[in-house]
Amino acid sequence: MADTPKDKIKYGLLKFIDLSGFKVFDPPVRLAFGEDPKKQISEIGKFMILPIIFVSLCIFIWSAVAPTHKTKSGAAPTPKQVWGAWEDNSRFGEREDEKLEDYELSGEARTARITEVESRISELEAESLKLEEASTIAAEKGAAITAKQIAPLSAQLDELKAEIKTAKASRKIALENLAAKVAAGESPASSVLTLVQQQSETAEAEKEKRKILDDQIKEIRDNPPESIKAAQLAANKAADEIQHFKKRLDILNTSNKEVKKAALLAKVDTDEAILAASTDPSEIISKSKSIVTNTENAASVDEQRFAPTATIAWQTKRSLATVFVGFLIAAIVAIPVGIMCGLNKIVMACLTPIISIFRPVSPVVWLLIFQIVVGAFFLPDPAKHPLFTTLNQDYWFGWIKNPIAFLNTNPAMIFSACTVAMCALWPALVNTALGVSAIDKDHLNVARVLKLGFWARLFKIVIPSSLPLVFAGLRISLGVGWMVLIAAEALSSSDGLGKFVWDEYQNGSSQSFANIILACFIVGIIGFFLDRIMIILQRLVSFDDGSSTA
Amino acid sequence: MSYLEIDNASVSFGPVSNRTHVLSDINLSVKENEFIAVIGFSGAGKSTLMSLLAGLQVPTTGEVRMNGKLIKEPGPDLGMMFQNYSLLPWLTVNENIRLAVKTVFPKLSKKEITEKIGHYVDMVKLSHAGDKLPHELSGGMRQRASLARTLSLDPKVLLLDEPLSALDALTRSELQDQILNIWESDKRTVVMITNDVDEAVLMADRIVPLTMGPKATLAEPYLVEMERPRERQTLNDHPQFKRLKSEITNYMMGISKDSRETRDDITPMPDIRPKDFSLPSAGIRLKNKVSQPTSAA
Repeated sequence: MADTPKDKIKYGLLKFIDLSGFKVFDPPVRLAFGEDPKKQISEIGKFMILPIIFVSLCIFIWSAVAPTHKTKSGAAPTPKQVWGAWEDNSRFGEREDEKLEDYELSGEARTARITEVESRISELEAESLKLEEASTIAAEKGAAITAKQIAPLSAQLDELKAEIKTAKASRKIALENLAAKVAAGESPASSVLTLVQQQSETAEAEKEKRKILDDQIKEIRDNPPESIKAAQLAANKAADEIQHFKKRLDILNTSNKEVKKAALLAKVDTDEAILAASTDPSEIISKSKSIVTNTENAASVDEQRFAPTATIAWQTKRSLATVFVGFLIAAIVAIPVGIMCGLNKIVMACLTPIISIFRPVSPVVWLLIFQIVVGAFFLPDPAKHPLFTTLNQDYWFGWIKNPIAFLNTNPAMIFSACTVAMCALWPALVNTALGVSAIDKDHLNVARVLKLGFWARLFKIVIPSSLPLVFAGLRISLGVGWMVLIAAEALSSSDGLGKFVWDEYQNGSSQSFANIILACFIVGIIGFFLDRIMIILQRLVSFDDGSSTA
Repeated sequence: MSYLEIDNASVSFGPVSNRTHVLSDINLSVKENEFIAVIGFSGAGKSTLMSLLAGLQVPTTGEVRMNGKLIKEPGPDLGMMFQNYSLLPWLTVNENIRLAVKTVFPKLSKKEITEKIGHYVDMVKLSHAGDKLPHELSGGMRQRASLARTLSLDPKVLLLDEPLSALDALTRSELQDQILNIWESDKRTVVMITNDVDEAVLMADRIVPLTMGPKATLAEPYLVEMERPRERQTLNDHPQFKRLKSEITNYMMGISKDSRETRDDITPMPDIRPKDFSLPSAGIRLKNKVSQPTSAA
């Protein structure tokens, strides 16, 4: 079979699709290369179009049902609102990055940036003014429309009120008359009771009528025309933008790294001048003190970092770092121990009770235990523990840029990682032991014939033959770890997606609910990709055709 | 002068109360450079016998010796070729052989190792598939790769455990010729296990039948004195081939019958022969039978 370059690309692509488990994309690729179009189109219809339709249907149902479900933090968010939350969060992230950049800028770049920001502000202000005007006009128009809608209703209401008033007065008179009759002995006392009861029922009915009208009016007032809302939103957005740029200007002008340092040093200079000329002892003391502290502060400005704000991108990175560390610990412990278990029945027998008892323990319990046990290592001041000072340094040994400084590692992160490790340990361990003990007897006979030593046997026969199962275990471990992590972060307040969800739940703003759903999607999508990566690794180490690993 | 010897060996498994005696009273002596075929039914204990020779299995009683020395453990001198190839599936053909060569000849330089691998891969005509993984090969190619690996150990004794029984007839005869060619150009002691009488007569100097298990033992050997090289095409007409083939086949059928008679767990089948199978009359009789109960009622 002669392979043209085109065929090579095609089969390369198909092989990659098969390897990564995205079988869905197989028909489109084949179709693109013109292979049996009829069959491919039918496959695409069955396995791509129908699923897409189904998912769209789900989203449609979600959009329809969500607004009808009122919760204590507003109606359940629609897909559109969740998308809005995503956009807001991304914008927030971008702005934080801009601020950070502004903080670090120095020299001409800073002045250039200042003029840039200033011109942008003036632009925005002009725009904002227009939008404000538009918003006011829209509001007036809207108010007119609302008033028009309300007018007949309020006329009705007034009428009703008047009616009720007269009815009330006439009832009062009737009651008084009856009471007088009873007092005169013309009527039985019970007739007054009956009348009171009747009158209170009538009053109740009147109230009900009034309430219906009130509600109608309120409904109209609460739901001004969409155009007002949109205009208001646009105006708010512009105002928000201006505020952001003003904040940037503020950073550039006053709290910028360079500016801060210069200000401190200038102060030192003036103080020194005063000190040189001063004759007042108390002033000499105070100026000397001020010079010392300001010099120190100026030096420390270099080490200061712009306080990282919890953007969703940062939280995600931190979660990924935590799960990676936890997973790594789990793998480093599980694989050797699993191999020992698989090789030696006595080791297996010794470890079985420990595995059986600790495997079902909830991650929450582990987290609490780690907070106490591992927390003890970081006492008395965790922030000054060498582990964290090292991990959070900007530069290692003064010149290697620390790539993980931005993570702002803290004890809570370590506890979360330990919890992930503890829960991810078991599947990897059990699968490794299984893989090692299920090794083909023929392969061991080969080792015996070749007289391989222990280590050669381990590395040439045992490990390669158990690798597919080891990776199957690691894949489960990573899945478990990712799931556990979110819970651990929420509980331990370790920055990450879990804490993001927890904070949103606690602060209960109008967008919280949408943010939580957004986090749910982010967690799911990342989990999906982690799993895919593990599948690819697993298939790469599988020596058969890979059909045994789904 | 016997080179490889089994002396009164027996193999049993299981606890004393419920012992399975697989082999008993095994006596075999193989001369240097002799080609021996052991023929037996499946389940007779052929593979156990082979493990005994390879040192993978220690005899319960008796001794196995090579060149006068007791065989206690497996080693590269006893080159065993396993029934199901047992190539390491994560290594290519070349890497499989490299592992063997590197382990057995640790002093060789890289170049020498590569040459040795090339030599044996050529010998089994697999040079075009050296970089393939076992699962990409056909059964015959895998078996050839396995043979190359075994030969690369430069074993004093070649033990072939049903090397060809998993292959189709055509591949099988091709491989038989290859093994014979290799053996004739580079003579060494060979013990081959097979369940094919033709194959045994074609290849071996001596054929030893293994009786049915349990307590299988080796029967009187048949000497094959046909001149070599033996021509497959003309062999079928060779008087000795015909004689040996029928004698051995008869003998094997005999022990199989014997063992069936001695085994008591088989329920004897009634010796019934159908009287009439012709369709029309059977159809009529069936009808009559169906109608009978209704008329009685």
